Amino acid sequence: MLSDSNSSSDDDQNPKPDATSIDQSLDAIENQLASISMSQSVSEFESESEHGIHEEETTELNHQDFRNGSLSEIDQLSLHNSVPEEVSRSEKDVDEPKASSSRLWTNAVEEEEVEAPSSPSSSGYAGERGSSSSASGILEVNNDGEIDAVRNDGEFDEVSDSQAPWVPGKRHGDEDDASISWRKRKKHFFVLSHSGKPIYSRSVIAAQLFLFHCSIGYGDEHKLAGFSATLQAIISFVENGGDRVKLVRAGKHQVIFLVKGPIYLVCISCTEEPYESLRGQLELLYGQMILILTKSVNRCFEKNPKFDMTPLLGGTDVVFSSLIHSFGWNPATFLHAYTCLPLAYATRQAAGAILQDVADSGVLFAILMCRHKVISLVGAQKASLHPDDMLLLSNFVMSSESFRTSESFSPICLPRYNPMAFLYAYVHYLDVETYLILLTTSSDAFYHLKDCRIRIETVLLKSNVLVEVQRSVVEGGMHVEDLPVDPASRSGTVSHLGQPRIPTGPPERFKEVFHGIGGPAGLWHFIYRSIYLDQYVASEFSSPISSLQQQKRLYRAYQKLYTSMHDKGVGPHKTQFRRDENYVMLCWVTQDFELYATFDPLADKALAIKICNRVCQWVKDVENEIFLLGASPFSW
Amino acid sequence: MGMPSANATSETLKLCIFDLRRGQNEGQELDKILFFYPADLPFSTQLSVIGLSEGLITFTRIFSPEAACEVIEAEGHSHVFYEAEPDIWMVMVVEKNKDSEAIWRIDGLRSLLKELHSFFLMFTGSIRALLDKEPSGGLIRTHLYYFIMDYLSDFLSGKKLQLPNFRDSLKERGTVHMLTIGREAALEVQSLVKVLELCVGSSQCSSLIMYQDLLVSSTLSPEDTVNIFNYAVLRLSPRALSSGASSWSYLRKGNTAPGASGPMLPNSSSVLEVYYGSQENSVGGHSYNVLRPLKHGHWSRGNDGFLVTDSWEAEAGSLVHTCPTIWLHKTDERMYLCAYQHRSLTIIFLIPVASVLNADQEIPFVKQQIIENVALKIIKVEEKLSRGWGGENAYHVSGYRYLLVDDDRCISRASPPGKVTTLTKESLVALSRLREEVDLEKSRAKWDGLGHEKDLEVCIRAKNNAWVIARLTRGKELYMVLEKANETLLYASDAVEKFSDRYCNGAFSFD
Repeated sequence: MLSDSNSSSDDDQNPKPDATSIDQSLDAIENQLASISMSQSVSEFESESEHGIHEEETTELNHQDFRNGSLSEIDQLSLHNSVPEEVSRSEKDVDEPKASSSRLWTNAVEEEEVEAPSSPSSSGYAGERGSSSSASGILEVNNDGEIDAVRNDGEFDEVSDSQAPWVPGKRHGDEDDASISWRKRKKHFFVLSHSGKPIYSRSVIAAQLFLFHCSIGYGDEHKLAGFSATLQAIISFVENGGDRVKLVRAGKHQVIFLVKGPIYLVCISCTEEPYESLRGQLELLYGQMILILTKSVNRCFEKNPKFDMTPLLGGTDVVFSSLIHSFGWNPATFLHAYTCLPLAYATRQAAGAILQDVADSGVLFAILMCRHKVISLVGAQKASLHPDDMLLLSNFVMSSESFRTSESFSPICLPRYNPMAFLYAYVHYLDVETYLILLTTSSDAFYHLKDCRIRIETVLLKSNVLVEVQRSVVEGGMHVEDLPVDPASRSGTVSHLGQPRIPTGPPERFKEVFHGIGGPAGLWHFIYRSIYLDQYVASEFSSPISSLQQQKRLYRAYQKLYTSMHDKGVGPHKTQFRRDENYVMLCWVTQDFELYATFDPLADKALAIKICNRVCQWVKDVENEIFLLGASPFSW
Repeated sequence: MGMPSANATSETLKLCIFDLRRGQNEGQELDKILFFYPADLPFSTQLSVIGLSEGLITFTRIFSPEAACEVIEAEGHSHVFYEAEPDIWMVMVVEKNKDSEAIWRIDGLRSLLKELHSFFLMFTGSIRALLDKEPSGGLIRTHLYYFIMDYLSDFLSGKKLQLPNFRDSLKERGTVHMLTIGREAALEVQSLVKVLELCVGSSQCSSLIMYQDLLVSSTLSPEDTVNIFNYAVLRLSPRALSSGASSWSYLRKGNTAPGASGPMLPNSSSVLEVYYGSQENSVGGHSYNVLRPLKHGHWSRGNDGFLVTDSWEAEAGSLVHTCPTIWLHKTDERMYLCAYQHRSLTIIFLIPVASVLNADQEIPFVKQQIIENVALKIIKVEEKLSRGWGGENAYHVSGYRYLLVDDDRCISRASPPGKVTTLTKESLVALSRLREEVDLEKSRAKWDGLGHEKDLEVCIRAKNNAWVIARLTRGKELYMVLEKANETLLYASDAVEKFSDRYCNGAFSFD
C-alpha cells in the first residue's frame, strides 16, 4: 500500500499519504495498547503463565523427567500449568516499578527472558483457528542447555484449551495478558512477505505476532496482517527513498530489519544483544527457510506478489522455534563455527574412515552427530560444508520428531552450498542422541543410502564408537577446573582431555570434587575457536555460572565481545580486555585462533593473561580429541 | 523519488523540527513542520522525512512507551532523533559513505541537537511557548530559521557542513573546559567573584569567569554554566571576537570565519514565505522581531571593556543599547547578560530582570560601578592567570591522547585538538566505535536504573596496534588512545593507572 501511494508523492497536493497510512494503523494500535497497559492484575499474570510460555524456567525444574522420557504429553502440560505460577509471581515483581532496595536482584531476574516461543496451541491460537493440522511444539531445555522438541498435535490443543480457556472474542479493551506476554518476552521475530503478508500464520512466530495482536486488541488474523503491513510499510517507505532500513533503536528496544528479496524478516528485541548478532539471527532464520524451501521460492513471488508461503512451511514451526531458542545458548549461531564431541583420536578416525568409505560411493556429505556436536563428517571431493549450514541442518533434524522415529529421506537445501537446489538427506538415529545424515544430489538414492547406513552402523558398533560417544556425553567436555596448573607436568598418564582419570568412584563424585569455584585465577569459562578448522570448543559451565540465567547472560556477553572484536569497519581487533560488574573477559584474536575467556570480575589482570596462555596450550595439547582434524577433503 | 538528490551539496544533512500536535488533519501536514534544512527541498521530500519519523515514533511507542524512536540506521543514512520538548521532535538525517569521513557517533550528533535546543531555550524560551504565543507558527518558524541557520554556520567548512564525526571522538559537546589554577590564583578569583557580587548589588546576581576559552569560575548551575560557557566560547571570547582567528576549541570550526552567515541563508525570505505563504498577513522576517544571538560579528568590545551587541536591538524596538537577556534553565528566570572583557579574561554576570526596575539606567550604573571598583582587580587576576597559563597545549600529556568527562559536573578535559590530529584514522574510528558501544551500555544502564553505577573497563588492541581504552566509573569517563605503546595489555593498563593517579586523583585506579 505504501509503495503505491509513494509513487505519487511528487504531487504536493497529497504529499504524505504514506505516513498517514502508517499513522492510521499505528494510531489504532497505540491507542489500544495505551489503555491496555494501564492495568495489570495477578490473575492475568496467572492466566498468562497458564499459556505455558515460560519454557525455560519450567524446564529447568523438569528437565530430568523429560530426559528420562517418562512423561506423557499430558503430564508435560500439567507441569506447565502448575509450575509457572511461581514464575509468574516473580515476573510480576519484575514488571513492577523498580524497587531500589533489591535493584541488583531485580536486574538479575530481568535478565531471564523467555524468548523460546510459546507453543501456538498454548497461546490458544491454533485452537482458536481449529487448525489441528498445524504442527505445534514446546521447546524444552535439558540439563546441558540443549533442546528437546516435544511434538504434539490437535489433541494437545484441546487439552490446552480446556485447561487454559481462551476466548478470542474477549480480548479487547482492558484485557492485557497477551500484552504482558509481549513485554515479558524480550525478543520477537516476524517473517513476512514483501506484500505484507505474514508468512508464519500458523507458526510459532505467527503465534507471537498473534499474541501481539491480542495485546493490541485484535483477535483475528485479518487484523494480524495489519501489524505485518506496518512493518512492511516501514521497510518499503525507506526503500522508496532509495535506502534500506537496518535498525531502529528506542530505549532498550531494537528493531532489526532484514530484506531477502521478497521476504522480510524483522526482530524486535530488548535484549542487550548487539545489532550484528540479531541481524545474524535473522540471517539464520532466513537460511532455515531456504533449507526447507530453497531460494526458488522467490519465483513464486515473482509470479504472484500476493503468494502465500504459509502452506509450504506447514508443520515446520518447531524447526524455527528450536532455532530461535538456540540463539540463546548455542555459540555456533554467532561464531559461525561448529563444535565436536570430544573423542579419542582413534575413535574419531574410525568413524571418519567408514564415512569416507561411503562418501567415495557417491554421497556428497556424510555427517555423524551427537545432538549439536559433530562426531565426524566427510565430504565428497571439493565439496565443503559451511558451519552455518551444519547448524541449520542439525537444527532441522533434531527439532523434527519424525526423524527420531524412523529412517527418513527428505529434500533439503544447504543455503551456503547452493541456495537454489535441493539435496536429499537420509537421516537415521543410531541411538537416542546420535544420528547420521547422508546427503546426496540424487532423489532416488534412498536404498543406496540405506545400505550405506547399515554398513556405517555395523562398523560403528563393531569399533565401539557409539559406546565411546555415550561415554563422552556423560563425561562432558573441558572443565576449567581441570586446567593444567603446571605446564611442565603435562606429560604422564592422561586420558580424558589431558586429565588423569580418577580410577574409582562414580562420575558424580568426581564432579563434586572438582566443581567448586571455577578454575584457577577465577577462570569461569572459555571458548576457543580454531579459524582454519571452522570449529570451536567451549568449556563446560563451571559452578559460578551454573544456572540457566547465568549461562544466558554469559552467552550474551560473549556475543557482545565477539561483535566488538569483529567490528565491520575497523576490526578485527587483536586483543580486548573488558571488565564490568559481572565478568572480566579477555579476548585474543590471532590468525589461527580466537580465544574468549571469562573470569571472576575481581580477577587479577596479569594472572588472567597467564591463564589464557595456559588455556591455549591446553587446547593445543588435546586438539586431537576435541577437534575434527583435517582427515577429510571436507573443507579445502 | 522520495529523497531526491537534486542538489548534491545539500544532501549530506537534513535537519528538521516538527510538532506532533500540529497538522494531524489531511491536507494540513505542512503545518507540523517548524523547521527544515535544507529549506529548498521539495515539500514532498520534507514531508516524507517527517512522515517516516512520525510513523516510527508512533510505532516504537507501542513496545517502548518510555522511550520512542532514538535512531534509525539505514544503509545510506542515519536518522538521529531528539524529543526536545514534549511532542516537539528534532530529527537529523546524515548521509553515510558519501566520503570516508562520514563515520558518525550517534550520541555525538544528538549532543549537537541538544546543544542547539539548549541555546534556543536560553535565548528565546521554549518552542511550545512561542507556538502558544502565536499558533499560526509564523513566529516560531522565523525564530528557528534564523537561529538554527546561524548555529549551523559554525559547521560550515567551505560550502559543506562538516558535522562532528569520528575525528571528534576525543571531544565531548555540552561540557565545560576548566582552567586549572593554583591555590593563590584561586583565592584571587574567589575574591574577584565576591567583589563583583557586591558591585552588582543584587543578591541573585550570578557570574561566570573565563580565561580565553576556559572556565575559571561560575556561580551558576551546571546546566546554565554549560550553556553560557559554550555560547561565550562561540561568540564572546577574545578569539570569537577577533574574527578570522582560528580557535583550538572544538566549539569553533576551521579557519574560515563565516562572518555573516551568508552562505547559510541563501534566500531566507522566500524560504520563510513558502511556509506561511497562505497566511497573507505576516511574511518574512520583517514583521517579527527576530532574535539572532548566534549571528556572527554582532558582538564587539566597547571602549569601556564591556561587550556590546546589536543582536537584541530589534527585540525592544527602539532602544539604542538594549542589554541582552537570557533565560536560566534551572530557575526559569530571565536575566540580563553583561560581559566585560580584559585581554584574555571574560567576565559574564547575570542580573535578574525582575530585580531591575529601569534597565536603561540601572544597567549602565552597574557597569560604571564595575569599571570603577573591579577593573583593577580584573587586571590583576588576568595577569596572574596569564603567568600560570601553559598555552594551548597546557593539557597535553605526552604519549597520551585522552578525553576525561565528569558527567555530574558537566566538565571535560581532552588532549589539545592539535595533538589529536596526529592520531591515525584507524585509531580514531576504533575509538569512535568503542564510544558508541559505551554509549549503548550507558543508555542501557540508565534504563535499568543503574545510572552512574555503571562500571566498565575496556582495553582494545586494534588492528593497527593502537590501544583504545574506555573506563567508566562513578559517573566519570575516561577515553584514551595510546598509539606508540608497548604491546602488552599490562603495559596499557599501567599507562592508564599512571594517568589516573597523576591527573584524575586516582579516580580510575585500582588499589
